[in-house]
Amino acid sequence: MSVQESILAPEALMGEDLDFDRLDEKVLTPLESFPTTRWLMAISVTGAVATLFPVCLVVTLYEGIGAWGNNMPVAWGWAITNFVFWIGIGHAGTLISAILFLFRQKWRTAIARFAEAMTIFAVICAMQFPLIHTGRPWVAMFWFLPYPNDQAIFPNFRSPLIWDVFAVSTYGLVSAMFWYTGLIPDLASIRDRAKNGMRKFIYGLASLGWTGSNRAWSHYEKAYLIFAGLATPLVLSVHSIVAFDFAVSNVPGWHTTIFPPYFVAGAVFSGFAMVAMLLILLRKFLNLQAIITDKHLELMNKIIIVTSLMVGYAYAMELFTAWYSGVMYERYVFFNRAFGPYAWAYWTMVTCNVIVPQLLWIKKIRRSALLMYPIVVLVNVGMWFERYVIILTSLHRDYLPSSWGFFTPTWIDIGLFVGSFGLFFTLLLLFARFLPTIATSEYKVGMPGAQPSHGGAHE
Amino acid sequence: LSLKAGARHVVHETVHDAPRRSAWQRLFGSDGDLVPDLGEARVIVSLDSDFLDSDGPMLASTHGFAKGRSLDESEHTHATLNRLYVFESAMTVTGSNADERRPMRPSQMAALANALRRAVEGEEAAIEATVGEAHVEPELLAALVKDLRAHSGEAVVVAGPHLPESVHVAVAAINRAIGAFGKTLAWSPEPAALPVTPPEVIEKALAEGVDLLLCLGVNPAYDWPGGGFGELLKKAKVSVGHGLHLDETLEHCTFALPSAHNLESWNDAVPAPKVLSLCQPLIAPLFNGRQEAESLLFWTQAVAPPTHASRAHGDWYVFVRNRVVAALNGAGYPAKWDDVLKRGVFELAGEAPAMPPLDEAALGSPEAAEAPAGSYELLVLPHHGVYDGRFANNGWLQELPDPVSKVVWGNVAALAPDTAEELGVEEGDVVRVAVGDRHVHLPALIQHGTAPGVVVVTLGHGRTGGGLVAQEAAGVNVAPLLGAESAAHPRVALAVKVEKTGGREKVVRTQLAFSMDKRPIVTDGTLAEFRHDPAFVQHKRHTPDMVNTHESPYDYSKGHKWVMAIDLGACTGCNACITACQAENNIPVVGREECANGRDMHWMRLDRYEEGDPDNPAVHNMPMLCQHCDNAPCESVCPVNATVHSPEGLNEMVFNRCVGTRFCANNCPYKVRRFNYGHYQEKSLSDPVQELAHNPQVTVRGVGVMEKCTFCVQRINAVKFEAQNANEPVPDGAVQTACQQACPAQAIVFGDVNDPESRIAKLRKAGRAFHVLEELNTRPNVAYLARVRNPALETPHEDGGDHHA
Repeated sequence: MSVQESILAPEALMGEDLDFDRLDEKVLTPLESFPTTRWLMAISVTGAVATLFPVCLVVTLYEGIGAWGNNMPVAWGWAITNFVFWIGIGHAGTLISAILFLFRQKWRTAIARFAEAMTIFAVICAMQFPLIHTGRPWVAMFWFLPYPNDQAIFPNFRSPLIWDVFAVSTYGLVSAMFWYTGLIPDLASIRDRAKNGMRKFIYGLASLGWTGSNRAWSHYEKAYLIFAGLATPLVLSVHSIVAFDFAVSNVPGWHTTIFPPYFVAGAVFSGFAMVAMLLILLRKFLNLQAIITDKHLELMNKIIIVTSLMVGYAYAMELFTAWYSGVMYERYVFFNRAFGPYAWAYWTMVTCNVIVPQLLWIKKIRRSALLMYPIVVLVNVGMWFERYVIILTSLHRDYLPSSWGFFTPTWIDIGLFVGSFGLFFTLLLLFARFLPTIATSEYKVGMPGAQPSHGGAHE
Repeated sequence: LSLKAGARHVVHETVHDAPRRSAWQRLFGSDGDLVPDLGEARVIVSLDSDFLDSDGPMLASTHGFAKGRSLDESEHTHATLNRLYVFESAMTVTGSNADERRPMRPSQMAALANALRRAVEGEEAAIEATVGEAHVEPELLAALVKDLRAHSGEAVVVAGPHLPESVHVAVAAINRAIGAFGKTLAWSPEPAALPVTPPEVIEKALAEGVDLLLCLGVNPAYDWPGGGFGELLKKAKVSVGHGLHLDETLEHCTFALPSAHNLESWNDAVPAPKVLSLCQPLIAPLFNGRQEAESLLFWTQAVAPPTHASRAHGDWYVFVRNRVVAALNGAGYPAKWDDVLKRGVFELAGEAPAMPPLDEAALGSPEAAEAPAGSYELLVLPHHGVYDGRFANNGWLQELPDPVSKVVWGNVAALAPDTAEELGVEEGDVVRVAVGDRHVHLPALIQHGTAPGVVVVTLGHGRTGGGLVAQEAAGVNVAPLLGAESAAHPRVALAVKVEKTGGREKVVRTQLAFSMDKRPIVTDGTLAEFRHDPAFVQHKRHTPDMVNTHESPYDYSKGHKWVMAIDLGACTGCNACITACQAENNIPVVGREECANGRDMHWMRLDRYEEGDPDNPAVHNMPMLCQHCDNAPCESVCPVNATVHSPEGLNEMVFNRCVGTRFCANNCPYKVRRFNYGHYQEKSLSDPVQELAHNPQVTVRGVGVMEKCTFCVQRINAVKFEAQNANEPVPDGAVQTACQQACPAQAIVFGDVNDPESRIAKLRKAGRAFHVLEELNTRPNVAYLARVRNPALETPHEDGGDHHA
């Protein structure tokens, strides 16, 4: 059982020279010193990129959706692509913190906090797009919600877009609360270490009067377990419901029952790739190699391989089902994906999502941050293209050839997408600056000498 | 100002039919025109005559032609149809409706006409002798000749206005032989168009110098054959331009006078023999303009100058009134003016004008046809929307897709696929088309069905004046190419150089794919199939029985249930419905760029599909509009209930509730939904004149809102409420949708299917009725009646490849 041991026991993954104090030191010191030049430079860049988002948004609101490349028949374009992409990215965090928690995967403690933060920021990015993509967001923001009104009109509960509103907002809220709950003991650590009165006050407020008593820990761990239990189905439901946006329609290429599991697998796939991509940068810049080790990366890579195979299976099964169904419209859509005008996007997707990740079977690549880095970047590229291919190639040639068309993005489309990345990275940088990037209290539980105090540490 | 003696009236018209008129003049000894009565014709042969679109009275022709395509299912075993043979150089609306169509160069028409003449006159061998050059199978010509002979007095041959006189003489000989004169061809001694004055006569007169030049309702500075009228204009001491727009001519004249629009004017007209019509203004002149005729009256009769206040009931009005009343009284109608106003149109009783005797000698003998064919030939046609440029400032017409190529906002050089390949040209490659030392640069368009070696261009674009819309449109003025051709063969040049320039220009089309891709979208059949079983279409479409997984909230068998049927056998694809819908429903014009972006807003469109040999495809036209599905896919996906079903079966679009997620458009398999991607109505709402063009009964949609066909719900409600107030049932036919009202073929029928006596209830049960994409179980409320073709040959030519061999 040595393999099992090594996964379950975090000490096996840890760098040699770590103890409680050094852990606190490593994680919390960056928060207590003046921002480094590197950080300031980084946030200047990401902040500048993030401003693209409001700029392009103003243009969109002023001109209408016509500022984008959308048309008839391609009524959905980059905005929905970006929405699904970001929601997918937002899967890894809760999966790591909730599902892996319930499955007692203790190695998760090194990456959980960061992945959760990333989830929340990705959901923030994702939530922009469905709203701004409506023709009249100023009324859409109200009319999507079921509130009593003088005209007695409710939303249409048959529409998957309404399910989406509930699924995504629930997921966002629960993820945020789960994350915050986990943060409380660490915020208290920062408070206790603070020398500046203002700092002590702010972190004191944020840590909600955490005392570290047995009672507090007991409540905390119960709450954490409940949240993990609540969040686990949400991880599966949110992307299933996003998949319904497509699967419930009658558009060839969308109307397929494989979509919910396929979307969830894809989301985990892209989420892990994004976490890996960012963690490699984070541990480099914050010198956390001792905490987030190559062994952690390897475990994540294994999940990436598994989900890559699941996604690859879905691609193959889509083709098979289209052929087997005998429906000419379905058959054409998949033929057109692979050989039509957007075949380049399809093959980019297949290459990045199915072929490239197979390199991770090689142990040397799997365990090397440098070698795996291009792979996880390509997975993210591929997963963006997956959504682009699904949306674009299904819409641009559906039932009546008389209405077939093409799609070309405008610079506003590109600006909003790039801007959302700016927003995402800016939020991450702020997070790395003001909050502990590693869940120190949780991590310590698995360290030698720790008293096993919460669920699952039976050994 | 008064007109001195010695004034001369000259007529300038780019799209004239001088060779035809002069042939009639020669044969019949007096000026006049022959008008085909297509409703009576069982066999119709067209030699390059696009009578369903640009040649002659299009509305009457379409109406007559559609009459000859109507089918009675109860007597299906001996049903008949007219048969249309078309030999043409460009792919046209008429050619799209042909039962037998063969692409053929303009230079080959004379040979064909003379061969047909000989054959009809009894010289069978003539067919064999001609077919080689004309690339037509002898069997087809033999069948054609047999058809013509078998339908003596019920057949007609027409030839295009640009063909030389010799063709028209040969055609007259054929028509005489088949007894068409007086039966399927009526004599009109007072045709609407005046005979044109040859341009060189006008040029000579101007070059000699004139004191005063009045240009009334013409734009020679734009469309003068060969160009260069601007120089001639300067030769006049005083020049006066009188027109609707500040166009190229008015800009260069000493005085520019604004004309009143037809909708602002009183007038009279004789649209057909024995028909007297009155034009009544719909609005007082907006810009204080006056009609050209009104000006002439004022200048020549020295009456008081009309003022704005007197315009509506001024001297011109009195003049028209007296003239119309006098004409009616003269014809034995003691009409009062009030009656005239009420009726508007009078069909005068009495004999139709007699055919003048035909001068047999002038028919001569069939000429040996020798056309000097160049390697490429040019055919200049009037544009479907803007004609010769006179309608270029009308956004509706600029954005009206060409019925064949679906090009909007510009003109192109259309080439057959083989010709394009020969030249190494693809769609959008700019080609240089040169006749002598004159040339134009136009983007190429590969148009299936164009005769090989022919370059087809259209007039009316490339305007430098005449209004914002006219000038915004893309395209090139091709008038400079005219004038180099022989007077005998107007708008055709037989020695043309075509070269690829290397430049590219986007050709903006509203439809990009023309193949049905083997999908069961439009189904048609032949007369033989129909005679065998009028429900033949049901066997071709194999629609499985479908089950509803949820109950409909309404019982549609109660109250009204609004349903439409479109007879594809009658529809010629003329486009009238599109503009009628646009006018009725305040549909914005979005401009060339937005059309290129795929954002045209038409609620109704004409889908065009081609089948078979790309060099000469069989064509299907399908008017496509919201199908008002009873299981509407758009309704279930709208998150805010902005599109819902009415108890009367309408798929309703609640504009104010729409937030613009566009999911409905994605989920509409017919792709009939249109989204306001921009502030398309901003200009039309801020401009007080444009605002007048809006229909006050229909909401003007703002940015970010989805829209689509409503079945003209405003018209339904108006009629329904009126009937309810009177406590009477809604009479069948009282509700007419805008598209239905405008359709000259009367292909569209609308009504309440719950009224068992209604036309629609009967049509709905027709064997030819089918629904598009019915296998999706959308349950559309628009039914299509399959077109029945009447091919002359046993094996349809769709097999293709034959004439490559």
